[in-house]
Amino acid sequence: MFRPVDMIQCRWCQAQNQPGTTSCMTCGAPLNEQDKVSDSGWREAPKLRDMTEFRFSSSVCQVEGELVPVAEVNLHPQDGLYFEHHVLLWKDESVPLSSLNTGGGMKRSIGGMPHIVTVANGPGRIAFSRDAPGELVVLPLHPGMELDVREHAFLVASHSIQYSFVRIKGLVNLLHGGNGMYMDRFVTASHPGVLMLHGNGNVLERTLRPGEKILVEPGGFLYKDSSVQMQAQQMPLKTGFMRHGMYLAEMTGPGRVGIQSMYVHHHSD
Amino acid sequence: MNTYICRYCRQPSDPDQATCPLCGAPVDVRSVVSDAGWVEQPPIRDMARLQFGQSHCQIAGTTVPVAEFNLSPNDWMYFSHHVLLWTDTQAQLSNMSMRGGWKRMMAGLPLIMVEARGPGHLALSDNHAGEVVALPLQHGQQMWVREHRFLCATGNISYDWTSTDVWYVTGQDRDDEETHYPMGQFGDVFTARDAPGLLLLHAPGNTFIRDLQPGQSLLIQPSSLLYRDVSVRLNLHLEYPRNRGFAFWSNRWSYRNIWVRLHGPGRVAVQSVYEPPEDTEVIRRHSHATTHHW
Repeated sequence: MFRPVDMIQCRWCQAQNQPGTTSCMTCGAPLNEQDKVSDSGWREAPKLRDMTEFRFSSSVCQVEGELVPVAEVNLHPQDGLYFEHHVLLWKDESVPLSSLNTGGGMKRSIGGMPHIVTVANGPGRIAFSRDAPGELVVLPLHPGMELDVREHAFLVASHSIQYSFVRIKGLVNLLHGGNGMYMDRFVTASHPGVLMLHGNGNVLERTLRPGEKILVEPGGFLYKDSSVQMQAQQMPLKTGFMRHGMYLAEMTGPGRVGIQSMYVHHHSD
Repeated sequence: MNTYICRYCRQPSDPDQATCPLCGAPVDVRSVVSDAGWVEQPPIRDMARLQFGQSHCQIAGTTVPVAEFNLSPNDWMYFSHHVLLWTDTQAQLSNMSMRGGWKRMMAGLPLIMVEARGPGHLALSDNHAGEVVALPLQHGQQMWVREHRFLCATGNISYDWTSTDVWYVTGQDRDDEETHYPMGQFGDVFTARDAPGLLLLHAPGNTFIRDLQPGQSLLIQPSSLLYRDVSVRLNLHLEYPRNRGFAFWSNRWSYRNIWVRLHGPGRVAVQSVYEPPEDTEVIRRHSHATTHHW
């Protein structure tokens, strides 16, 4: 008699995994550990075990190290990745690199954002890391998803994900929002892909219900679903010698919000 | 209920819990003590809870831990606005002003603290890889903390600040003088005046504790000092190593160690991440100091 196999669902990315697997094959999250959720509902991003492997398209990514993790990718000939060039740690000589213009050249330069991202194509091995203690956050994106990421937090994305950017609107948001002029926006059209971020310190995620609000220090903001509205909100506080106002980013659901615990306060005096 | 004295916060605690409800230290671990007598402060376990008043604090993360608070309606706490990570819309935030604004600004200290009143949730974190250190203070207990290490305190702990009196002046001549404060110009002093309270610090790196006996002294890097009982006294100590074959000037001027000498009795804690003092130019004047030439 046919018995259905009990698959294991990853609680981070919801992918189905074969019985007996100890880490998710789609995002690397440990499958045999309990979720760590605080009383307020913030969930820790899964701490990827040293040397964990996961797959995207026909390629394999291995995560090495725990303090400043390295993402090492074995690229299949049909696959590609893109990234900001300064996160490249090493590569096989044979891996070809090319550049991709993101558009908005001068405006992006003024905003301190790269107007060119580097593209690597398989076959071959290539590795990435940023320069601060923190966590690698693996976010598999299904078709039709849109994710906004704070500037310079993006580590690498698979070629099936479209890269664009959104200008932060509103003078108050620009001047006091603490998130610069632009946010990276990653969109999947018809094919899934994987997006990897580097969060400084620890990374926590919370899913907001429709209309639910939370106030976040702008420097701590890491990513959000594009359905989450972000608005600079003045607090009833004065800071510094000049007693200027203090602003926090008001996030309004529905959708996920990710934060990092190590950040530079956006109005440090 | 059985009680035991937590070896880290020195308060009566509950042995039936996995972690001390007052300071978050694990109950079921053996003390790690170096041969010299330094006790390693065990990191607070991920998601451990600390109780204070009718409220509690939960520690999330291990690299740069977040202290998340669930404040009850009658409780309040204060902190520097730099460390606020998130808050819900219920918690009431307001300013708590302090004396000595000009001096504090010149010393790079926060001028205004933020006061948060319950009910509500909020979370704090610092921006260094390290540990949250919880110090429950009993009624009347006082603790000196190095500047910028304070994360938050509950409302029944009063806050004051004093000069460290550890400084030296360098420069070739009077026009070129520069004053150095190797452990900061001011230190924070916290006192549980009317009732017990909770003080949270953030220590970059790892934290080690030691009890100094009466008359015992110890040399430490000035910026590694995290906290000390107010019974522990300190002064500047200048040490000039003996060298062979080097120029006379290097021995007297740049080739030296700048220490803080601690005198017991009392508890002291150091952090493993620190910033060594600048090693330049002759010292022209200094605060009260002991000196040793090898």
